[in-house]
Order: sequence, then structure tokens, then C-alpha cells
Amino acid sequence: MADYDRRPGGDRRGYNNSKKRRYQDRPDDDEYDRRGSRRRFDAPPPHVRIRKQLLSIAENPMRPWHEEVASIANLFTDTWEEDHMLRGNFVDLVLQLAVEQPLKTPFLAAVVLVANTNRAEVVNMLLAKLVANIEARIGQGEWRDVKLYLKLLACLQSCLEGDGVFPVLEELFSRAVDLQTASSEDTIGTELVKIILLTLPYVMAAAPGQWSQKAADLMEKTEIIALEPHALQILIEPYHPENSEESSTPSSSVIKLLQTQLQSEANNGWALPCLPRPWEFPPGETEQVSKLANAAKHALPPITIPQTVVAGPRPLFPEVYFSVYGNQEVESVPSINTAAACLIRDALLDTINIMDYNRNVTARHLIEVDCFFAPRTFAARATPFDRLRDIEPPKSTWKPEDVAVDAVFSQLFQLPNPEHKLVYYHAALTEACKLAPAAIAPSLGRAIRYLYRNVHHLDMELDSRFLDWFSHHLSNFGFTWKWTEWVDDVFLPDLHPRKAFIRGAIDKEIRLSFAQRIKNTLPEAYQELVEPEMEKEMPDFKFLDDKTPFAAEGREIAALLRKKAADEEIQPVIERIHALALDNNLDPLVTSTDVFVTAVLHIGSKSLSHVLAAIERTKDRLTDAGAASDAARAQIITAVMTYWGGHPGVAISIVEKLLNYSILAPSAVINWALVRHAGETKGQALARAHIYELVFHTVIKVTTRIRQVAQKPALTPEDEAAHEAEVRSMRELFSAMEDALVAWATGAKDEMLEDGTADAEREAFIRRWGERWLRVFRRRAAIEEAFLLEAGKEREKRVATAAAAEGDGNGAEVDVELEDIA
Amino acid sequence: MRGQRPTVDRLDRPSAYFNNRVSTRNEGHSTPGSRTDDGSRYPQNKRRRPGQDRRDDDDTKMQHDEPEDDPLRDATTLYVGNLSFYTTEEQVYELFSKCGEIKRLIMGLDRFNKTPCGFCFVEYYTHQDALDCMKYIGGTKLDERIIRTDLDPGFEEGRQYGRGKSGGQVRDEYREDYDEGRGGLGRAIQQAERLRDAERRDKENDHGSDHGRLR
Repeated sequence: MADYDRRPGGDRRGYNNSKKRRYQDRPDDDEYDRRGSRRRFDAPPPHVRIRKQLLSIAENPMRPWHEEVASIANLFTDTWEEDHMLRGNFVDLVLQLAVEQPLKTPFLAAVVLVANTNRAEVVNMLLAKLVANIEARIGQGEWRDVKLYLKLLACLQSCLEGDGVFPVLEELFSRAVDLQTASSEDTIGTELVKIILLTLPYVMAAAPGQWSQKAADLMEKTEIIALEPHALQILIEPYHPENSEESSTPSSSVIKLLQTQLQSEANNGWALPCLPRPWEFPPGETEQVSKLANAAKHALPPITIPQTVVAGPRPLFPEVYFSVYGNQEVESVPSINTAAACLIRDALLDTINIMDYNRNVTARHLIEVDCFFAPRTFAARATPFDRLRDIEPPKSTWKPEDVAVDAVFSQLFQLPNPEHKLVYYHAALTEACKLAPAAIAPSLGRAIRYLYRNVHHLDMELDSRFLDWFSHHLSNFGFTWKWTEWVDDVFLPDLHPRKAFIRGAIDKEIRLSFAQRIKNTLPEAYQELVEPEMEKEMPDFKFLDDKTPFAAEGREIAALLRKKAADEEIQPVIERIHALALDNNLDPLVTSTDVFVTAVLHIGSKSLSHVLAAIERTKDRLTDAGAASDAARAQIITAVMTYWGGHPGVAISIVEKLLNYSILAPSAVINWALVRHAGETKGQALARAHIYELVFHTVIKVTTRIRQVAQKPALTPEDEAAHEAEVRSMRELFSAMEDALVAWATGAKDEMLEDGTADAEREAFIRRWGERWLRVFRRRAAIEEAFLLEAGKEREKRVATAAAAEGDGNGAEVDVELEDIA
Repeated sequence: MRGQRPTVDRLDRPSAYFNNRVSTRNEGHSTPGSRTDDGSRYPQNKRRRPGQDRRDDDDTKMQHDEPEDDPLRDATTLYVGNLSFYTTEEQVYELFSKCGEIKRLIMGLDRFNKTPCGFCFVEYYTHQDALDCMKYIGGTKLDERIIRTDLDPGFEEGRQYGRGKSGGQVRDEYREDYDEGRGGLGRAIQQAERLRDAERRDKENDHGSDHGRLR
């Protein structure tokens, strides 16, 4: 539709609308008018109007649902004969909207139900396509689409013959049982049960009163699977309680919550007050009501579900219900005891994750969430939190903004990973905050405070995500935050998780801006956290100071590098350093590496491009240094991290490039961070956000590379061998991390033991950091192993298929097939 | 669904700007690859008057609606615009890395004094990262300015320089609003103002003695 507007007419309109035109060129106005009226004459054909109305259905809160629904349905059936394009278009659009804008599904269903009273054929057309789509999505393992189509089907229950949707749900359940009995770690079965439970409420809302027994039977069956704690859940728990804390209650799995919530709905006659029922007409409209009641019923074509179902493109994990607004004095989001919590959340999550290609629309749907649920489900938009307690009991205290923001946070804090890159969820929140700052910003503020209060027992990976989102968000809103309320925490020891958060946040803010700017946003007490080196754009070159050992050599090498001297000219200086180092009882390789790398960094200090060019030119010598000894390898990293100590972001980027050039191996970085640097700082390094970032990025780099290879359709024997070697070194990497981190977590680390000044508080902090790190990388290791297992199975399957095809004596076809898979 | 028009516009489509450039090129108004008008955007950049010949533009575009070889099909590069002149490479890295590892970053420079002039090219390793960047980063703030991103067929030597008369980007020549992050008013306007000021000063100097007497 946007293309339409960009046509020449669109351009000209823009021109005419400019101020200049309007005020100065009066005579042209009638030209403008003529065109305006011509446009009015070309009333768009019905299929265009219906498309437009369907697309924006339910978006206008001022328009009663039944009116809107009836007007679209009648426009459709009235023009049934005159516009043949319309029928197919209508069906296709309804199906498309159901999977693209799922908040609108009940409203679309209502239009179909009303249309059914005049043109019953349309439902048959729709059902035929719907069934075909469901089957196709099941085949691909696109479970979300399956769920969304079933939701549409569920809303149409009242016009279906026989048991309607129930046979499909029962069939799905029998697959779930098979899968769950086969393996306790199965996730597809769990997903199927979740789909069944999320479909059920819509059936009950669409055809009230009739299906209670059927529903009860089904829920009796799902109970065993839904209530059984999932083997993988411990891995993805967002909170990581400290040992001392009496084990704070673990989060609930979504599926378990759903089962219990629906059970209480069933006991309550399936009231489901939050679900919209746009197919209900006011009693006054007797004609429409009776037409709906007596409309044609349709047989649902059978849906075949293959015996073995597939997991689909996205790895499935059990889901945990996460909320940043739990335990408040007034309930600003539905409590986890009501079905509304899961039903609204589910619809919002689908919207958020499907609509990643237009965050502006995501944000609008988030802000207008109250349009898509029953009236009075929510309090008025933008009601301040403090006012919620004045709301009289039967009325809702749920703040639509809180519910919406909570849904986004549940994705941002989803382990192991949400569907999209984290920055999408940042962007969605930014956009929502831009659209309705007065409503959204206070909700975000309360979320931030909640997370900050709980930062000490948040999983460390999530702690880091919080930091990243927080600083990024502030960068979009002028870096304003009420830092004064955390001022007491500035005086906490650096090892305290909240202090670590503050330091990390300031560093990240500075990276997106610059030190002086951020300093201006911080209250007095925070000022000294912005250290002098952070304010320098380019770090000092330590060899400019004659008191630094090897100052002359350092300057000489820098000068040689600057004039792009040949390596032979540098070698003598390096040899001189070696000799001097030996005289002074220093490790010659470490010493020369430090001087050389620091000089390279210095001549590249102007920008990342400069340093990359400098590294490129000295690649050979750097590679040799990295290969010379463990100590020299570590010294490269030490030199980078020291030189750019005031700008850890730059240091991390440089190390990343050194990894790309294979000047450093991932194990060198891990070893440097977790053993050497952590040792030198007596564990303090574990509390620094940028050290975690360095390690995390390094691990992700390794695992991403392995995943890419593992996902290839077939590997040549050489590839296979290389892949196996890579997998081996990944395992070694994880086990080295395990060893180092276990030592920190248990207090067995030499540096912790030999520290004569026994400081129990300090030691407890460090052990805790060790535990938190350990949990993150154990999870990563487990996830990668699970991935490799699955990818291996997939590959074997493909190889087997290919071999079978070759057995048929048609080699050429094999190639084609493999490519298709790729 | 695949192939169907989405119910909501996608943010990872190339801009109208790109489409106009491409259709200009298709019409052969200038020889492909000519570097006479080098600049931040596309090598061919004949100034076109908006008007009737736009129609032709659209017709040609409609004829080969889906160009056989879409230069952006596997694009991994983005043009990034509306940066402040003071925004550094490191800041760009920090933000754009959120969509994936950056392969290469080229800062846009003033053709004459080689200082940043408010745009850059970010190259990722994968097409998907570039698309995600369009969706999640384009239109958000960097260094407190809303930046724009556009898919780009790939950097070529020479395109890092501004095409404006005075060396910066064309848009900074005649800009009428004062933009502190981009050197104040448009450079051509500044130039004109300087001239006017000089003239006024000359005049004032001439009648300097009258000034006090009249009031």
C-alpha cells in the first residue's frame, strides 16, 4: 500500500502541501481541488475497501465491535456477485491476518460468522484452505502458525458440525503422548500440549455452554504432561538464587500455569472474562442474533497429522512465565492465577515476535492492547500506578502499559534465547516509549527498579542483557535516569552486583556517547566512577615517559611502524629488547610482545580503522608473538586491555579482530580472562561487565562457527574431520572454563587461598560471581551439545535419504535434492 | 503467505531513494560505473527535475518490476545517514554490533579535508544481519540523533567522499535549518551569509558616523 502513496500523485501531493504553495500560489488551488474531487470519484473497488477495513479491524476503540463486524461482512456479501476477485482475496486475507496479526483473529472470525449467515459458501472456501495450511505447517514444524490457525478455527466453532475442533486437538494430544513417553527431554510434545491448552479457551468463548464435558476430558489428559516439571526447565530458569536464600520459589512453566488456570476457569463455567466476543450482538439486534443462531453449519474437512512430527526451524524449549511486575501492592498485571495472564501474554508474544519486520506496528499494538480484549479488562490507559489503588474492586486494576511492557521483557529475559536478536526487543520498547511516553515511560521505570533490586540473583546472562538494554534505551532518550535514587549503592564495594551494574551501565552509556556527556547526566557521587582515562579520547602512550622501562625502544618501534618501515628494520630493536630483558631477569618474549603490541596500538589509536590497518600490516609478527609462548600470547591481550583500559569497548573490538586474524585462539582469551586476569585481580575481574562480555563474545564466536558447519546439508570427509576437530576444541574450551570457574565458585582458587587477609565478605562475593559465571557457561555447553546431537541426526537422515536415492541408480537427482535441502 | 503482500509494511526494504537511483540507472541517463559524480550514494546521480519525466520513471520500473538481478538480494552493506560529524567509528561499532559482527566500517569523509561528514557504510558478514539492522536500528538514535539506514549494493572506492560542492554531503550545502551536529547551517548558505555580512560591515563602516546621530 505504501507503494501506492509513492506514485507520482503522492509526490505531487507532498509538493502541494508545502507551506509555500498553500500561502503563495492561490490560483493553483482549484487545480488541487479538481484533482481532489477526481480522487473522490474513483471509489476503490470493494475488494480494496474490504482489505482496508479488515486490516484495521478493531483498531478504533470508538467503534462498537458488532457494528464494524457487520459492516465488513455485509459489504463483502453484498458485493459477492459483482466483484469476483473478492472471494479468494477475502479468504486469503483472513488466513494471512490470522498468522500475521493474531490479536485480530477473534474479530476476523466474527466477520466470517456474520458472512456465513448470507453466503454460507465462504466458510467452506475458508475451511478448505485453512485445513490445507494447517497440514502444511504441521509438516514444516511451524508450530506457532499451527496454533494461530487453530485459534481461528476455535473461534469458528459455533459454525462447525459435530465436535468441530475437538477431534483435531485430540489427535494432537495423542502425538504429544507418544513423544513424551519416548523421551523425558522431548519438547515437541510439550509444545503440542501448550497449543491445545491455548486453543481451548477460544473454543469455550466461541461456543459457550456446549463443550464443557469435552474440555474436561481433554484437560484431564493434558494434566500429566502439563504438570510434570520439564527436565530442561532448570537450565532456563531466569533467577539463580543464592545458596543462603531459602530457595526462592522457582518460576512457573507456562504450560503448568495454563493447566491450573484453565482448571479454575472450568470450575467457574468458563467465564473467561478477558476474551473478546465480537460475534455477540446486543439483544436489541434480534434479527442478526437469530440469523447467527440459525446459520449454516459446516463439516470440518479432516486434518491429517503425520505419525512423526518435527520440531521445525526454531529450537523448542520449555517456557517460563516471567514478569517484572509480580508482588506489587496493587495488581497492575493479571496475577498468575488467572487465565488472562497467559492468554493475553500469548497473544502479545505472537504479535511481538511475528511483527519484528515493523517495530512501529508492534509498538502500536502494544499500546493499543486494550482494543483487542473484552471491554473493562484493563484500567484506562496511562492510569498512574499510584492511582490504581483508588479503583473500586470489581473494576480492573490491570495497566495496559504494564501488561504490554511485561510481555516484551519476558522475551528480553528469555533463556536460552528469544526468537529474534535482543536489539529488536530494545527497539520495540523504544518505539512504544516514543509513541506514548507518558504512559510507557513510568512502566519502564518500575520495571528497571524491579530488575535492579533483583540483579543479584538474576542469571548472569540476563544481568548482562539488562545492562545492555538499559544503556541502549537511555541512549535513545537523552541519557536521563534518576540516578539519585541509587546513590547509596555507589559506596558499595565494586564486587557488589548492584555496584557492578552501575559501573557497567556507565561504561556502556559512554560507549554509545562520550565521557563528558555522560558525566553531565550523573549526580555528584557518581562523578568519580568516570575515571580520567575514560575521558581521554586517545590513551597515553606509556613509552613517552622515560621512566617506563624500554621507553626508548617503544618510541623507536612506534616511529618505525609509523613510517611503515620494513620488518627487518624492526627486528634489531626487538632483539635489543630481548637482550635487555634477559639482563633484567624478565621474560624476553613477554617484554618484546608488550612493547611491540603497545606500539601497534599507539599508532592505531586514532580509530578502529587505524588500529585494524596497523594490525593488518604487522600481522605476521603478531602471529609469531602469539605462537611463541602462553605468556606472550597472554601479553598480547594484556597489552590491548591495558592500553584501552579506559575504553573497554574498543579493547573488546580489537581482541575480536585478533581472533578473526587467528593471532589469538579463543582458548587464549578464556585463559587470560578467567585464570590470569581474574587471578591478578584476586577475582575482582569476575565482577567487571566487560570481562564477561569479552568471554561471552568469544564463546559465541566459537559456537556460531560450529553451528554453521553443523547445519550444512552434507560434509565431505575433510570437512567432517575439520568439524570434529573444532567440536573437540570447543569441548576443551568449555571444560577449561568449567575448571577455572569451579575453582572460583568453590573458593579453591590459589589467589583466594593465599590471600592472608581473610575477608569473609569479599570471599563470599567472589564465590558468588564464580557460581553465576559457571551457570551461564554450563548452560551454553549443554545447549551446544544438544544442538550438535540434533544437527548430527539431521545430517544422518539426509545422508540416508541421499544414499537411498542413489540406490535407485539416479545420482543426478541426489545432487538436486541436497541442494533443495540447503 | 510467501509471495503474498504482507499486511504490514516491512522496514527492511530499500528506500524510495534507492529505487529512484536504480531506475535512473536503468534508463541509461549516465554510463554505468562513471565516477564523475562520485559520492556517498550511488555512482549515477544525475540531478533530475521532479515532474513529467517521473512518469517515465515509473513506467520503466513497472515494466521490469522484479528486476532479474536485484543488486540488493544478498546485500550485506548498509548506508547509514544523518550521523553527527562528531560521531566516531567506535560509537557506530557499539550500536551496529548489536545486529551482528561488523566486517567493515567505512566512515564518510569530506572530500577536501578528510574529516567525517555525517554518513558511513557498515558491512556485515550476512545479508540477514543487514536486514535486521534495517528493522531494528534504522530510525533509532545514535549519539542522540535519529539515524537512517538503507540497504546498499556494496561499497566501492570513492564513495566514502561527500559529493557536495564544498566537499561534504549534498544535503549539507543548502540546509536551511541550523544543525549543530552537522556544522550549523548549510555551507552554501553560510558562504552567502558571510558575503552579506561583509557587505553590511562595509556599509556600516561607511556610515559609521551617521549612526549615533540619528538615534
